[in-house]
Amino acid sequence: MKTEVLILSSLYDFSTDLVCLRLQEASIPFLRLNKEKLKEYRISLDPLKPELTVKTGKKTYVIDNTLNAVWFRQPVFLRNTPEKALSPEEQLERSQWTAFIRSLSLFKAANWMNFPQNTYLAESKPYQLAMAKQSGFHVPQTIATNDAYQIKQFFPNDVVLKSLDTVLIHENDNCLFTYTDIGESNAVNDDNVSGTPLLAQKVLSNKKDIRITVIGNKLFAVEILANSEGIEGDWRVIPKNELDYIDIDLDQDTAKSCFKLTKTLGLNFAAIDLIVNPDGIYFIEVNPTGEWGWLTTKDRAIDYEIASWLSSSRKLSAREAS
Amino acid sequence: MEVALQHILISKATKRPYRKIPDLPENSRYDEEKGYWIIDGSPLVHTKQFADGMVSKKCDQETGEDQKGE
Repeated sequence: MKTEVLILSSLYDFSTDLVCLRLQEASIPFLRLNKEKLKEYRISLDPLKPELTVKTGKKTYVIDNTLNAVWFRQPVFLRNTPEKALSPEEQLERSQWTAFIRSLSLFKAANWMNFPQNTYLAESKPYQLAMAKQSGFHVPQTIATNDAYQIKQFFPNDVVLKSLDTVLIHENDNCLFTYTDIGESNAVNDDNVSGTPLLAQKVLSNKKDIRITVIGNKLFAVEILANSEGIEGDWRVIPKNELDYIDIDLDQDTAKSCFKLTKTLGLNFAAIDLIVNPDGIYFIEVNPTGEWGWLTTKDRAIDYEIASWLSSSRKLSAREAS
Repeated sequence: MEVALQHILISKATKRPYRKIPDLPENSRYDEEKGYWIIDGSPLVHTKQFADGMVSKKCDQETGEDQKGE
């Protein structure tokens, strides 16, 4: 069975369900491979043809150079440190399946959302800040450092502290997650910073958060408010039922910067976080695998746009056009 | 004995019970061929209980932005 769209996802990724439904409605032949179930399939890759054969039990799927698109909803490197020792089998599965999935990059002729190599680089926060500045965004003063003295020199009063990369730490039966924190720079010292570098950033007060979702050459812009007002600090700590997502019209310059940034980073999908305050609009970060399921509605049909992009003509690809 | 201070990213981190598998409604099952979860013959993501947050679109696991953990 020929496949036009290959989806590399996970079993509990319900945003993928939304896109699969759209593809099914449009009668686009697709295959969703979930990382948890890979060993239940029988999969062979001929890298020279190239051809991927997947036997799922009931059906056999063949993927070759006629593949139109790949939707890559997978981590590009291993972040989790397991909370307990893995068996040799588990360690082997973990490293080798990841390598196998990465090997599918050889289907380069397809449209990728996003190509893993591009995601890998774009997930570096200092790198994306530099590229955002080049793309015309205002970017808050930032340092990546493990030097408490430098943090206090740069930011004598309040400072934003955040991790350089998503923190996924297991501690017994718990997981630790870090949100963006605003506090006095006096709270940092050599003992609580030197062990691991972090990002220290200028505080932008009286702000409103804007989430931009870019899909190819389209974008959705939403302002995130609580009780009709902007949120000081990280909006993700506010209960979801208190948040409002308001569609906004983005000014032309900011929209242009968004597309310039995604083109520079080679991304066909990006979730961009901006802040607007009385001084202007600032770039905060871009997430190549950013979540959007919480934003999609009948009138803001992000799932439809992603499915359309995946099934569209190769000539419409941002990657090929660049 | 002197105890080293925790890194500020850890001391300020939010701690939550770790769940590898989200709570799913009874009778829901993943349809391999369709590529989505089904409950009572309908897509799970189209049900009211899903929209009401019984199963969040981020499967109740806050990992910053999803698809970063393996």
